[in-house]
Amino acid sequence: MKIAAISRIRCLPPGVVSLAGVFSLTLIADSRSAYADPVSELASFSIFDKVDLAQLAKSDVKTAHGPPMKNSRFLAVQSCYVAPGSPAQQKEALSQWNPTKYRELKVFLHSDLPSNPKPANFEKLKNAPDNASVRSFVAATQKLSPELQISKEEAKRFSSASAGGGGGVIPPAVVAFWTDVLTARTKSFVSGGMAAQPPYDHAGPSIRASDEVNGLLREQGKIRQQFSGLLGATGIGRGGGSLPADLYWELLDANDHGVVTLGASYSRGGTAGTYQTADVLYYASGGYYVALTLHQLWPVTVDGKPSTLVWRGDMISSSELGSLHGVERLGSESVMMKNITKAVTLFRREGR
Amino acid sequence: MKVFALRSVVLVLAALVFATSPAFSEDNNGSFWPLSGEFSAEATYVGEGSAERGGKRVSDFDEIDSDILLVLTPRTKFGVLRLGAEWQRYSFGFPDQTALPNTLQSFSTMIGLDMQLSDSIIVRAEGQPGLYDSGLGHLDWDDFNLPFFVGGTYIFSPSVQLILGVSVDVERKYPVIPAAGLRWKIGPQWLLNAVLPTPRLEYEMNRYLSLYVGATMKEASYRVDEDFGNSHGISRLNNAIMTYSEVRTGAGFDWKISPIVTFTGEVGYQPYRDFDFYRAEVRYHQDGGAPYGTISLHGAF
Repeated sequence: MKIAAISRIRCLPPGVVSLAGVFSLTLIADSRSAYADPVSELASFSIFDKVDLAQLAKSDVKTAHGPPMKNSRFLAVQSCYVAPGSPAQQKEALSQWNPTKYRELKVFLHSDLPSNPKPANFEKLKNAPDNASVRSFVAATQKLSPELQISKEEAKRFSSASAGGGGGVIPPAVVAFWTDVLTARTKSFVSGGMAAQPPYDHAGPSIRASDEVNGLLREQGKIRQQFSGLLGATGIGRGGGSLPADLYWELLDANDHGVVTLGASYSRGGTAGTYQTADVLYYASGGYYVALTLHQLWPVTVDGKPSTLVWRGDMISSSELGSLHGVERLGSESVMMKNITKAVTLFRREGR
Repeated sequence: MKVFALRSVVLVLAALVFATSPAFSEDNNGSFWPLSGEFSAEATYVGEGSAERGGKRVSDFDEIDSDILLVLTPRTKFGVLRLGAEWQRYSFGFPDQTALPNTLQSFSTMIGLDMQLSDSIIVRAEGQPGLYDSGLGHLDWDDFNLPFFVGGTYIFSPSVQLILGVSVDVERKYPVIPAAGLRWKIGPQWLLNAVLPTPRLEYEMNRYLSLYVGATMKEASYRVDEDFGNSHGISRLNNAIMTYSEVRTGAGFDWKISPIVTFTGEVGYQPYRDFDFYRAEVRYHQDGGAPYGTISLHGAF
């Protein structure tokens, strides 16, 4: 976990920016005042305009759908909760979280990646579990399904890979193909961020993950502003960025279909113990174009104990979401909220 | 770092009790907000069947149904509004002097709201105020009715949803009808959509074509003309309310011909049909089923 702790005020609520001079004097007088009111800061950029900290500390995670967005492919959910311990501890716990431990989260494989990945870093693919999702993933690859999210160039490389055969849940030829795709995409992310990612244009209109994530952020202006300092230093939606990323890949389930995905995580400390994190799934072989999770962590005191107020924003772009309307979309939002609640609950349980 | 990002895309086609069946369009990058909606245009032909009342048999009559629906579904702070209109017409080929109307027709508006009560519960409340009669010849305020329903979907998981609801129509023989349903995505290609009024078992051949077997259940109340009884030899049927019910069972396909238009074809058998002037105690029940065929264009935008 690489943390660049930056002791500058980065996440001021918009309304306080104009009072920066007064604010800094207050900081000198009482360091707690810089974020003495994290609830107000939370209200300034999130959907949670009224949060009772004491009540939240005693309750489960609070989840709500984000504001409606013009692009029908986009969906966002926000959540907040109070966790015991400091933001630094929470951030560390987040970094240690292993979703593969929980079957219900349907993450089959997870592996960290170095900044210069080799094919050996994707060897775990050979050990994929035998289930319907993985078989669906294999079948889609072998027939080069139009639903595969790859570029035309990558699709060309597939034809030679598909000539092979062999046993195993994922045949060697399929492993080799995806190893090639994932290695190349990781390298391009390291060198040029999301902007360098090849488009998804194998069997449809060209979609760029960087455009999608920028669109998601553009439609949530307050969140983009809140996280502008962090995001500006990353490869999320842009070039390489100055902040080092923790890279990983996963094999997971998306709507009953296996999907390989590439992710990058960033985090950065703010003044007096606050933290922000950003986790982007910048490539997926299907199911969604891009997914972004942001965290804002504030130190708070609840019942005399050091705790952390956590805001989490999940946003996703998916072609399948574009096909949903009315109550179907409400249903999808509900399921997304439910899944996030489940994941957060498991995470919090682990921390106790 | 293993920050648990959104690990699985979470799509559920939540169905509500008595909901219409919007098509699944694709990837319209346009604005779902604020103008989105559903539309449907459907025609059904039911072959020659029979009905019977107290030994009097009505034989060899056919039926043509037409249904046109448009609902706008703008998103608001409170949920998804449902504002629209529907025209529905049943046309029967009864022999002369049959004490049944040749036409049953409704022209109604739709006013409803889908609300997200929690991350597990979505509720729909919808009314369909309109004129429910036996043709446009004698429109009267007596023809006005306001059937409505309230239903809720409990999202147990992305694969399983439970549906409960109640339909209310004060003019119907049974004014309050509760209903329950289940939507279960059995596997990547199989879906059990056991939700009224169109319970189905669906198999997705590919992203454009699905096959299904299932049923369609319809029940509504209509008021006949003021002189209907006099002209058909049963005076107590003047201005009477009739509840019409039918059940169809069949197999069909959904073919997505464009991102917002789906074509559906269905054939099957109609095993149940009932014409019930329940207040006047005149009831014709099915005496012989009939084959039917349905085509429709429907979708969502």
